[in-house]
Amino acid sequence: MRVHALLDRLDINRESVIVIRGDTLVPGDVLLLDADVVEIRPVISGGCR
Amino acid sequence: MKCRVCKGAAVIDVRRHNANFCAEHFIAHCHEQVRRTIDHFSMMQPDDRVLVAVSGGKDSLALWDILLSLGYRADGLYLGLGIGDYSTESTHYSRDFADRVKGRLVEIDLLADEGFDIPTGARLARRAPCSACGLSKRHLFNRAALEGGYDVVCTGHNLDDEAAVLLGNVLRWNVEYLGRQHPVLDARPGFVRKVKPLVRLAEREMAAYCVLRGIDYQVEECPMAAGNRHIGYKEALDGIEAGSPGTKAAFFHEFLDKASHLFTPESDVVREGLLACASCGSPTTGEVCAFCRLVERATASSSNMSVPVQLGETRS
Ligand code: SF4
Ligand SMILES: [Zn+2]
Ligand SMILES: [Zn+2]
Repeated sequence: MRVHALLDRLDINRESVIVIRGDTLVPGDVLLLDADVVEIRPVISGGCR
Repeated sequence: MKCRVCKGAAVIDVRRHNANFCAEHFIAHCHEQVRRTIDHFSMMQPDDRVLVAVSGGKDSLALWDILLSLGYRADGLYLGLGIGDYSTESTHYSRDFADRVKGRLVEIDLLADEGFDIPTGARLARRAPCSACGLSKRHLFNRAALEGGYDVVCTGHNLDDEAAVLLGNVLRWNVEYLGRQHPVLDARPGFVRKVKPLVRLAEREMAAYCVLRGIDYQVEECPMAAGNRHIGYKEALDGIEAGSPGTKAAFFHEFLDKASHLFTPESDVVREGLLACASCGSPTTGEVCAFCRLVERATASSSNMSVPVQLGETRS
């Protein structure tokens, strides 16, 4: 399954997350393998800096 | 997906620019966006002494990193808020990053230096925690900059932050806040210039920047932020952005270009006639400034208090 399809299936807006595998980013069109472990990290924060 | 610049494998897409980037060129893209923002708004001069408000989160650490990469003389300023584990961790992230870039991190601790922390102080002063926190940050960042001889204070507000604040202000037609919502607040007597160099970069890009630069940042949110209105506005805007990339940037930047000047006079009136605070000397409309009043209440024992209730959040 591709990253974008995974996000769609989980009903996650792709603008609100980054997807990380190992120590780098995985773009939306990458085909994930069954053995892949990815972190879907939210990027939205409370806005106080 | 191929990098727009080198045609190598891309690691991120930025849909509002209709572009994909490899790690190297994405980092260059972020630097370029900040460089352009600084130029466009005349935010600072190459030899300015710059103080970056650092929280340990992605935006402020990325901002510090970018300013150093662009050659600015930028130090960090960390304010310990005393919010349990959240503050303990944010201190580590800030110090670790400062060590890594061999940067100077100025530290202020609310409890040690001012006698209160946010959770207890806000309760004693009967203010919403975020309101007490925002007021403390504004006051102490400014004071630290004045005392340290800095020319400018930079904060890590990004495009999503500003678009969400704008949406909130428009939904309620807060004309006074609309007049003040600009990426540059010029210096005035007693106030150092404040700027927001990340307003062209989206929140997702700042998170991506940190990952690609190997910057360890605090992903955990401040517990006080849970469920605040601001987050709801961001989610609403992201919903629109997903179907129509570029809307967020247009909403905020077209406001600056076409509409913000219409609201400016409203806010300027408020700034006239400031006096020096009887306690700390900073400019204020009253006899004692809002921060000194907060300190007085937040450090008072709960028995001898009679303070007006002041609720609702304010954002810096
Ligand atoms: S969420 Fe509120 S209390 Fe927490 S850091 Fe932000 S403004 Fe301060
Ligand atoms: Zn490239
Ligand atoms: Zn004062």
